[in-house]
Amino acid sequence: MNRLLLLFFILLFYGINNAQEKVIARQGQVSFFSYTSVEHIKAENNQVLSIIDLGTSEIAVSMLMNAFVFEKALMREHFNESYVESDIYPKATFEGTIADFDPNLSDGQTKIVKGVFAMHGVTKKLEIKTKIEKQQGNYVVSGTFEALVKDYEIKIPPLLAGNIAERISVNFRFEYEPYEN
Amino acid sequence: MSLMKTKRILLPVFMIIGCIQFSYTQDLLGILDNEQKEIPKYTSATFKMTRIAIGHSIETRKKGILEIFVANRFWNTPETRTQSFFVDRLSSRIALEYGISDRLSIGFGGTSFDGLFDGYLKYKLVQQRDNGKGSPFSITLLQNSSYNSNAFPSVTESFSHRLGFTSQVLIAKKFSKDFSLQIAPTFVHRASLATVDDSESHFAIGFGGRYKLGSHLSLVSEYYYTANPIESFDVYGPFALGVNWEIGDIMLQFMLTNAQRIEDGAFITQTRNNFNFKNPNLNFGFNATYVIHFKRNLKK
Repeated sequence: MNRLLLLFFILLFYGINNAQEKVIARQGQVSFFSYTSVEHIKAENNQVLSIIDLGTSEIAVSMLMNAFVFEKALMREHFNESYVESDIYPKATFEGTIADFDPNLSDGQTKIVKGVFAMHGVTKKLEIKTKIEKQQGNYVVSGTFEALVKDYEIKIPPLLAGNIAERISVNFRFEYEPYEN
Repeated sequence: MSLMKTKRILLPVFMIIGCIQFSYTQDLLGILDNEQKEIPKYTSATFKMTRIAIGHSIETRKKGILEIFVANRFWNTPETRTQSFFVDRLSSRIALEYGISDRLSIGFGGTSFDGLFDGYLKYKLVQQRDNGKGSPFSITLLQNSSYNSNAFPSVTESFSHRLGFTSQVLIAKKFSKDFSLQIAPTFVHRASLATVDDSESHFAIGFGGRYKLGSHLSLVSEYYYTANPIESFDVYGPFALGVNWEIGDIMLQFMLTNAQRIEDGAFITQTRNNFNFKNPNLNFGFNATYVIHFKRNLKK
């Protein structure tokens, strides 16, 4: 009986403790670039959500596709309607783990984040080299990776093949604050 | 004693702990879903182009966008032997159309065949919203006026007798990502009359639809019905069947129609042939729009 009670408290404590060790970024920045000789395309999203569980080193990212702002207003319409089909697939998400993450390290550390990225109904395993810093006690995570357009089943009409790069470079930067539930 | 009893108490307790645990270790994406702020999502690209085929759609261009719009109609005369190159007749409307704000746009154009010069203001009054909130459809108001530059010997040639006005309430709904419909109650006032017997004012209603065939291609159709048509000569309801194709900054529309006239009031009230495949009834229509962005949305 006593042992069970002990177990009960351990579990309860563990649960609460675990819940307090999360940090969240509510205004994360994700931008992508497509460079070709014909046209440079750039888009930014400044409302990306991300959360890290410091206890388990797990990280998740979620962004709305229609929140990407383009240089050209019509390009944003084309992007949502004809390319990423944001009516059907409104979000892109990433779920993964930061390998060898040390939450207590105050200096910058560069770690590999492994996980799955889901966009346009396609999930891909990714390994992203990520810089993790602490600025005024808050974690800042940033990095770059490249994505192939055809991996995500996004169709580019042959006439525009010269305007849109096959390889899109994606930049991200998240500033976290303690997450209170 | 009552090991059974202890068990009976502890089981629910553990189930509760289990639930608490579950809610704490809820997956991270689930937490982010709850954190996601509700951004009002307005339905975009109901028709994509500012014309469905022959008539206006609810779409207006965003602020700072200039469209160079060229509409052409090609048709043949009924004579069996003609020596025209390519086609017998061609009419073109060349226009500049500009987005003053995200809701208001303005356009000026001239048509070669009937010598009409026209200008319009178009205002997006209500925008459809996606996630069940807000309006279930979009409403755009259109006011157009035209000036007939032709010389007509029969009627007084005062300025005011050369004018025409068209007012439309464009109401559209995007039912799914592929399918949109539009209804357009229309009022046409014509000061330039062929005979004094004809009414100056006409009430009409337009129906238009779009069905997406691919990510950049869609099938469109339009029809206008006039309740009190011109009586001094035969007129028919303009009908169009076409495909719209957009490629980045260029948008193309190809259509078959019986409407030779291009200006709104003119084709709605004065389409003189019914839709069939004989000459000169069958018109091939081709609209090309080139989009220029004067406003850049991203900071350098």
